[in-house]
Amino acid sequence: MPKSRRFFSAPNKRELLLPALFLAPALAVLLALSIYPLIYSITISLQQETAAGVTWGLGNFARLFSDNFFLTALGHTFIYAIAALTCEFLLGLSLALLLNSQIRGRGVFRASLLIPMMLPPVVVGVVWRLMLNPNFGAINGTLKQFGINTESLTWTASPKLAMLSVIAVDVWQWTPFVFLVLLAGLQAIPPEPYEAALIDGSSRWQTFWHVTLPLLKPSILIVLLLRTMDLLRVFDQIFILTEGGPGFATETISLYIYRTAFRFFDFGYAAAMSFVLLALTNVISAVYIKFLQAKETI
Amino acid sequence: MRLTLFLILASLVLLTSCTGNTQRKQVTLAVVSGVEGEALKQAAADYEKQTGTHIDIAEFPYTNLFEKELIDLKARTGAYDLIMLDDPWFPRFAHEQVLTDLTPLLQKRGKSGPDGDFVETSLALCRHPYQSGALYALPYVGNSQLFFYRKDLFEKYLMKPPATWDDVLAAAKTIQEKESAGANGGQVYGYVERAAQGNAAVADFMPIFWAFGGEMFDANGKPTVNSPQGIAALQLMIDLGKYSPPGYASFNADDVGAHLLQGTAAMSINWPAWISSFSDATKSKVIGKMEFTTLPGAQQPGQAEIGNWLIAIPRDSSNADAAIDFLLWATSAEQMKRSAQRGNPPTRKSLFQDPELVAKYPAYPAQLRSLQSSRPRPRTPYWNEIENAFGIFLSKANSGDLTAAEAMNQANAEIEKILQRAQ
Repeated sequence: MPKSRRFFSAPNKRELLLPALFLAPALAVLLALSIYPLIYSITISLQQETAAGVTWGLGNFARLFSDNFFLTALGHTFIYAIAALTCEFLLGLSLALLLNSQIRGRGVFRASLLIPMMLPPVVVGVVWRLMLNPNFGAINGTLKQFGINTESLTWTASPKLAMLSVIAVDVWQWTPFVFLVLLAGLQAIPPEPYEAALIDGSSRWQTFWHVTLPLLKPSILIVLLLRTMDLLRVFDQIFILTEGGPGFATETISLYIYRTAFRFFDFGYAAAMSFVLLALTNVISAVYIKFLQAKETI
Repeated sequence: MRLTLFLILASLVLLTSCTGNTQRKQVTLAVVSGVEGEALKQAAADYEKQTGTHIDIAEFPYTNLFEKELIDLKARTGAYDLIMLDDPWFPRFAHEQVLTDLTPLLQKRGKSGPDGDFVETSLALCRHPYQSGALYALPYVGNSQLFFYRKDLFEKYLMKPPATWDDVLAAAKTIQEKESAGANGGQVYGYVERAAQGNAAVADFMPIFWAFGGEMFDANGKPTVNSPQGIAALQLMIDLGKYSPPGYASFNADDVGAHLLQGTAAMSINWPAWISSFSDATKSKVIGKMEFTTLPGAQQPGQAEIGNWLIAIPRDSSNADAAIDFLLWATSAEQMKRSAQRGNPPTRKSLFQDPELVAKYPAYPAQLRSLQSSRPRPRTPYWNEIENAFGIFLSKANSGDLTAAEAMNQANAEIEKILQRAQ
């Protein structure tokens, strides 16, 4: 095709062409799958559909403040995230410290601890839904064997116990992840600081507080950051376990966003909620990074 | 180089459009997975053999079907030529003006309208506005709620089949008290309700609400669920909950089914799809003991909630003619009988009375009575949102979080908010 050659006659243009060609697919995918949807979701979050037609403005964001469902779901999300994160971190840290020592059979423990984490959240949801069933479930069945009255222990069906149940399932599934990251962090600490502490005559508690914890800080930061982001957008397990119920007792932001978008078909409002969730996650992450990194320099 | 790329792309486009343009007629059909969609899929295969029209099937689980269809129809992709719709979705689709008016297509085929054999309440669902408007769909599966009760226990305690909700409450009390050291070796609950937020709670509540004279909207379209009748109806639901297995505030249809099949509950509102499982020895401990009848009344006669599957043609279908031919064929008496034999209740009066089918499905007479006296969920395009809000407060009242009056007042306020936003 001699005609087409004319376009690329300059040699420097030809040199540019090849790298550009290689970059183009990745760029196209990025544009199509990330950038375009992001811009599109910003525009629809600024649109409200009314009987008169589409109006532009911040109406969707203003509506958030008078929406009881949204505010309650936001509260639930934070309760869920804080409670689950605290339990997972404390349990994960204890397990990591325990299995970092030279106890017997630690290989078996380490391997078996990782099982919950490897299951898909949906499977975990289904398994726990069956176990927590008040009438036929394994948990109440076991409690009955010990002569405990399970009449009022309806777990996911009880407005008081439902939140506790979904948090417990999350702790069951994700403590292993915290454990794994912290264990890796512990094993990366060289023996010298411990030897020095031993020579200086520090107690076990002092060693933990002044040697282990500061050196573990990067791992702690990573694991808290990842878990917080995951917890704030939790969806699958709760959707399977309770679908946000009973009533509204375990509805989180993600569930409410899903419902608004795909049940009520109000994409603009759902997008607005998503951006609020994104902003909150960013703020919290920034606080973590600042707080945990600043202390490291002391 | 650019030219080569262009030529390749252009030839690809040409090639694909050629294959799409073959002589054979082609129709794409969106169905729900499960027994309702299965029957239509089999019908489509039969049709393909008979006429040579190729039918592409796109199958989705219930929860995804609605979003999939509405997104495609609103984006005007023309991806589907026929869609299955659950009837509460219909007002939304009709309101968005994404469906084809079927009457001109029928007239082209020498018909003035749908034939008179369809059950009136089923056909009314297919019109927008309800009952009186233009025809945008045809009914395919004719479900409506039934009242399930344990015939053997009612005979044992010399009780008549319940005619009112007060009868139900009294019978539930009797059975639960007397069967507590049960003959089956365990507790039999008097009743089993389902009050998980959303569809479950609302579907179980509407028949009680209507029987007590409750109306969701007044003549001006204002919500009135917190009327004295509405609050009394919810109070009855809560009272009946005392005889329901613990945790019923999170029950869905499968929990209700499990209790009835295990013989651990004596009465319930349920859907016809469950009937056949009661005579299945691998699932049922109550073979021959379950009876199915129309719903009890109160101040008003009992009315079931209708739940039909409709089939419609999207407005942007480019094969509307091929689609209507298949639609008329699939909803004909002959083909619907085959669908009935595959387990779906029909929407034609003649089939509910067909001796062969009645022999196979003894509950058909009761189903027809229930269907003919049934009511649809309130016809509003915002039903999904209203049902969600209403269901949350019903569930909260049943789990003991709110009193009946509190729940209804809060529900009313939320429903009003939804409607105001829509204006």
